[in-house]
Formats: sequence, structure tokens, C-alpha cells
Amino acid sequence: MDIIIPLVDASSYILILIMIALGLMIVFGMMGVINMAHGELFMIGAYVMVLCQSHNLPFWLGLVLAPIMVAFIGLLIETLLIRHIYQRPLDTILATWGLSIALKQAIVLVFGPEAQSVSAPVDESFSIGDFSYPIYRLFIMAASLFMIIATFWIFLKTDFGLMARAVIARPHTSETLGINTRRIYRWSFVFGTALAGLAGALIAPTISVDPQMGLGYLVPGFLSILVGGTGPLAGVLAGAGAIGGTNSLLSVWVSPVAAQIAVFILAIIIIRMRPSGLLGERDEK
Amino acid sequence: MLEIKNLVSGYGEATVLKELNCTIAPGGVSAIMGRNGMGKTTLLKTIMGLVRAQSGEIFFNAVPIHSLPTHQIAHKKLGYVPQGREVFDKLTVLENLRLSALGSSKENLQLLPQIYEWFPVLQERSSQKAGTLSGGQQQMLAIARTLIGRPEIILLDEPSEGIQPSIVHEIATRLKKIALSTGLTILLVEQNVDMVMTMADHIHFMENGEIRETVGKEELRNSDEKLRTYLSV
Repeated sequence: MDIIIPLVDASSYILILIMIALGLMIVFGMMGVINMAHGELFMIGAYVMVLCQSHNLPFWLGLVLAPIMVAFIGLLIETLLIRHIYQRPLDTILATWGLSIALKQAIVLVFGPEAQSVSAPVDESFSIGDFSYPIYRLFIMAASLFMIIATFWIFLKTDFGLMARAVIARPHTSETLGINTRRIYRWSFVFGTALAGLAGALIAPTISVDPQMGLGYLVPGFLSILVGGTGPLAGVLAGAGAIGGTNSLLSVWVSPVAAQIAVFILAIIIIRMRPSGLLGERDEK
Repeated sequence: MLEIKNLVSGYGEATVLKELNCTIAPGGVSAIMGRNGMGKTTLLKTIMGLVRAQSGEIFFNAVPIHSLPTHQIAHKKLGYVPQGREVFDKLTVLENLRLSALGSSKENLQLLPQIYEWFPVLQERSSQKAGTLSGGQQQMLAIARTLIGRPEIILLDEPSEGIQPSIVHEIATRLKKIALSTGLTILLVEQNVDMVMTMADHIHFMENGEIRETVGKEELRNSDEKLRTYLSV
């Protein structure tokens, strides 16, 4: 039983990481935008839950409102900032880094610098024999899994996804076929931010919500993409599995610091051996 | 009718097209010939908005299109088959065709049976990844993909490039038939003399970013002096 709980914890962490990394990957793979503010969008999702709790709104309503509000912020960011710097990765780093600082400060101004907590809607645990695990954490896993499958379905099975994959592969050719690449970029960006917002909202009851929480997820999110590869979306699964699994399990079995060191060493080794990531392909554009 | 007036275009500070004027009448096939680096591809890219015109005007059916974004130019019924085909390698043949319908109108998927009649090999390979097709088949896919959008004119950039001669001839005769039966206008940029002679009604010779001369096919057939002058063949 000693091993099952850490494994379930690791799976939960990996699923949340996949949601964050998918958002990052869509935005980077498609638009060449390295979104340093992605962690802050995740944080805002959690703060929407804080806000709902302080106004006595139902938890589940918060879970619906968080991705919608973060998506709206994403739409503003895309319109005012990101669309001016598409396909200029270095500029996007600087611009979104600045944005991340601004968003953090805005949260400090509104909510203060101290950590906040959000209560889980259910406190009970699920038990089979000796195994007992909080129901809410199982819900996080189910909801994350659902969103990950939904994301894959949208990008692999729908017309929007087909256009998005075409735009990633050959933006100019897609334009000549009449596809409005700007619109595809915009809604993909908004979708990616909504995923981050939902991830933040889902995880809010299990962590302390503070203005710095985004970075702790942004870094492993980026590492997941680097390790998994920036080609197919499935690379995120492999990357987040490797990074999240190592981080989570070693944190329990050894120490959080050792886990961090191991994660970076693992990332360096994988990137050294496979520069385009575990499932990545060479850029053929 | 495609009208190009005093078009100046290029890349950064390098001007490629220098006050180019050209009119392409509706129906039939016009070819643009010229040596490498004379600006043929730049002309097609500028018409499609992929390279921005520095000055001058482009009208299609009397509507100015030179300041429109590329996807809106496509919506005006201009189709473009780029050099090197640029099919979506990782998507299936059918997905490649579907994309063009999504970019124009989903109703255009009704054209699929007609497309498959013109290019039967695409139906046989509809579920195959486009990257696994031969060069000739990819060219057919690139052309079919453009035709799905029901264009009034298609701009073809060096369709013979990297394709074996027998397939080039097959594509040329099929395109000519399609143009005759549908009233489609074709603007063909090509260095392959056989393909031009099979398809084109008029030939515009291009040199140093300008159209220098326009001749009918018969004139070209009777004298190869023009080819020597403009293509060094």
C-alpha cells in the first residue's frame, strides 16, 4: 500500500501537468509564442476559486467560471499583445514575461501577497481495503483526464483541429486555401489559456493559492514540452509523464530538492540524447 | 479578369517586380515564362498576398485585391498551387481536400466525386498520408485541393518541377480539359516548354521583373527565337 498512494499522487500531478503543458504546447507549436505568463493564467484560475469562495458562490460554479474568465483574459492578451508578435519567439518571451509580472502584481494588489486557501467541496475519502484516497483528488484526476481527451479529440477529430494542424504545418499554404490563420491562432490561444485556468481552479483546494504559484508549474510544463518534443501533441504525454512522474515520486521517496535536481538532470540527458524530444520530429517547415 | 497595374514588389529592400503590367483575360490558359530569378514566383506570391505589393494595383473582376489578406484573396476565387506542391504531408489525401472546403465553403465537398473523376488516383489513395504519394500524385493533389475551392482562376507555379515527363504531360492535358469544360482561367508559371505548348493559349515572357512580350501559342510554335531570347534554350 506504501507504493500505491505515491503512484496515485504522481498520476494526479502528471495529469495536471499535461493540462498545463498542452496549453503551452498549442500556443508554442502553432504560433511560435513562448508564453511565460501561462503560469499566471493558471494562478488566476485558482484565484477565481478564491473569489467564488469569498462570495459564497458554489464550488462547481467556480469551476465553470474559472476557465471562462481566464479564457476571456486570454482573448484580451491575444488581441492586445500576442497577435503583434506571432512567430517571434524571443520577443514573445520578453513580452509575456513582462505580462506575467504585471498579472502577479495585479493579484497582489487585489488579494494581497499572502497565501489563500480554497476548501474542497467534498472531504470524504474513497476506501477499498487498506487503500484510502480523498474523493476530491480522484475527481481532479477524472476531470483532467476528461479535458486531456477532449483536447486531443478537438485537435485530432474536428474540423477546427484539422485546420489547426494544417496551420501549424504550413501557415501560408493554409491561408491560400482560404483559412483565416489569425482566427485559428486566436481561438487556439484562448483554448490553451482556458485549459490553464481550469487546471488552476481544479488544483486550488489541494495547494496554497498565492501570487507565486504559477512558476512552480510553468517550469515543469516547459520541461515536459522540451523532453516530450514539440512535434505531435502526444509528446506532451510522454514529457509530462517523465517530468511529473520523476518529480512527484522522488519528492516522496527522497526529498523535494533531490527530485528537482533529478528532474533537471533527466531533462538534460533526454535533450542531449534526443534533441527534438522523446516523440519530437525534426522541423520540416 | 485579372489586371495588374504598375506592380512593384519584392523582399525587403530588394525589388523584384518593377512596374509590372499584365492583364489575364477570363477563360483559357496563359503562361508566364522566363529564366530563373526573373520574378515569376514573386508575381504569383504578390497576387496571393503572400508577398506584399510595395506599390501598384491588382484587380480581380474589377475588385482591388492588393491590400487584402491572403485568405480573403482566396475567398475572391483565386486558387494557388505553390511551387513544390506544399501538400500537408502528415494529413491524408481526403483531409488535404477537406481543408480546402473548410477554407472556402463546406458545401464544396460536393465537388469530391467530380475531383475523383478528374484524378482517380486520389480516390484510390484517399486515406493515405499525402507525404507517401509520388511527386506526380502530390501535384495532382495540390491541384485538386485548389479546385475544391471552386476558383475562377488558378495560379500554378512550376507544376512540372521534379515530376517525370510522362506525368507532366498527363497533368497538362487533364488541366487543359478541365479549363475547357469548366471555363476555369489558368495562369501558369512554367519553364517546361512542352507543358506550356500543351496548355497555354498565350505566353507572357518575363525579364527583370517586367512582362517584355506577349505572344500567341501559334507564333511560338512557328519560331523558337523567342524561347532563345527569353529562356536561352
